[in-house]
Amino acid sequence: MAADRKRVAGPETSVAPLVEYPIDHQPWTPFTEKRHNSHRQPEDLRPIYLKTGLISEANGSAYIELEKTKLTCGVYGPRPIKRAGQGFSDRGTLNCEIKFATFSCVKRRGTMRDAQEKELSQILSQGLTPAVRLELFPKSNVDIYITVLESDGWGSCVAAAFTVASVALAHAGIEMLDLVAGCSASYVPTSIPSNSNSSSSSTTESSTGAGSTVTPQIFMDADLEEEKYQQGSIVLAYMPSLNQTTHVLQTGKAEGSIISQSVEHCVEACNKIFAVMNHALLESIDQKKL
Amino acid sequence: MASVQNAVVPGQRLGHVQEYNAGAGTYSHQDFLYASVVGIKKIIENQGELPTLTVQRENSQSAMPEIDAIVTCKVVRVNPRFAAVNIMVVGETPCKDDFQGIIRVQDVRATEKDKVKIYNSFRPGDIVRAQVISLGDARSYYLSTASNELGVIFGTSVAGGSLIPISWQEMQCTKTKAIELRKCAKPM
Repeated sequence: MAADRKRVAGPETSVAPLVEYPIDHQPWTPFTEKRHNSHRQPEDLRPIYLKTGLISEANGSAYIELEKTKLTCGVYGPRPIKRAGQGFSDRGTLNCEIKFATFSCVKRRGTMRDAQEKELSQILSQGLTPAVRLELFPKSNVDIYITVLESDGWGSCVAAAFTVASVALAHAGIEMLDLVAGCSASYVPTSIPSNSNSSSSSTTESSTGAGSTVTPQIFMDADLEEEKYQQGSIVLAYMPSLNQTTHVLQTGKAEGSIISQSVEHCVEACNKIFAVMNHALLESIDQKKL
Repeated sequence: MASVQNAVVPGQRLGHVQEYNAGAGTYSHQDFLYASVVGIKKIIENQGELPTLTVQRENSQSAMPEIDAIVTCKVVRVNPRFAAVNIMVVGETPCKDDFQGIIRVQDVRATEKDKVKIYNSFRPGDIVRAQVISLGDARSYYLSTASNELGVIFGTSVAGGSLIPISWQEMQCTKTKAIELRKCAKPM
């Protein structure tokens, strides 16, 4: 009998899913507590675990974990361009693809590449290309494949993708100008807007709509719960040693002062992330020596 | 844990351009030299010149053909205008993926170029030592065998025996002693 590939072939009997929260769980709101994880200050990042060389097939690879945000990255190449129809180019190209695993988000993701993944892939290519010395790879192509294993916050996921991809590129021995560290920040209003109707205050729409009266707090490296209340967010890709920004991704709305302040915070955080990247790469040298 | 001495990562500032020459694995930017790969910093002293600063990479990327590089390749198909080859080794380092290359009829040898017949120079399956003369077109690198030490270094005859060179354009089958025409490389 031919397998039914059109439908999900689930088991006949089903059991109740494992619920992450206890039944008496109180949902977090930014109006009652400081941050979702109460130990974190607004400017604190989550602890980062970063390791190189997990994918033996790839030329270079890396794995990053910020608590529940988990990504892997494999870098292949430089390899000759096989696709026909492209003219001669004396520079290499960077092909970046990000894929959310089907189980990575709260809602199941499809196996096919969707529009968001395509957009993110393009953003990542744009942010990483300035850091790679593509003039040294004529007629060649470097492939970067990022898999999101678990996503806890969209912004932190993009930021982690920048970080993990540049570490994997460096691990692959590809010549780069600098490493690219990514960092995200969310603008979260922490008090209920005074002029809005208090009965519907907890929804994102009301806080976004009347948010102009409230100065939002900048939450660095926001997680999914915090992102639900954000009125905007920023993702910064930054080259720490050269002190240059390769990409800024700003969504939502905020005042100019908040944005410039959050960029400064992100730069500061990127320098911290850079130390972790540095450490992970130096560690990879040690492992091969011993 | 950074116990390895002089280990550097991309973007790390290594020195001033007035003190060192930029070597492999480094680049200069606004009067300073920076590392561009992960590896070990090495300073090579030059007589009368500035010492060269290089970064020896730990995890080398796969080799890529460059202009003037000597490559070892395998002939995949021939036609009257050129021989198409797969570049398998650049210098001493094998490539992870084969690169496409072609040896055009005018690049087979240096003299009597108009009398060259590709079919009497290369056959599919031959292993050829050649030099990269150009990055070529979108698809293939352009190679040349116009030198004594460049040409076929290994081949199989029609009968299946291996060929040994007997002159610069003839090879003999070890099984049948039949003579086949090739552009031979001078044994080194």
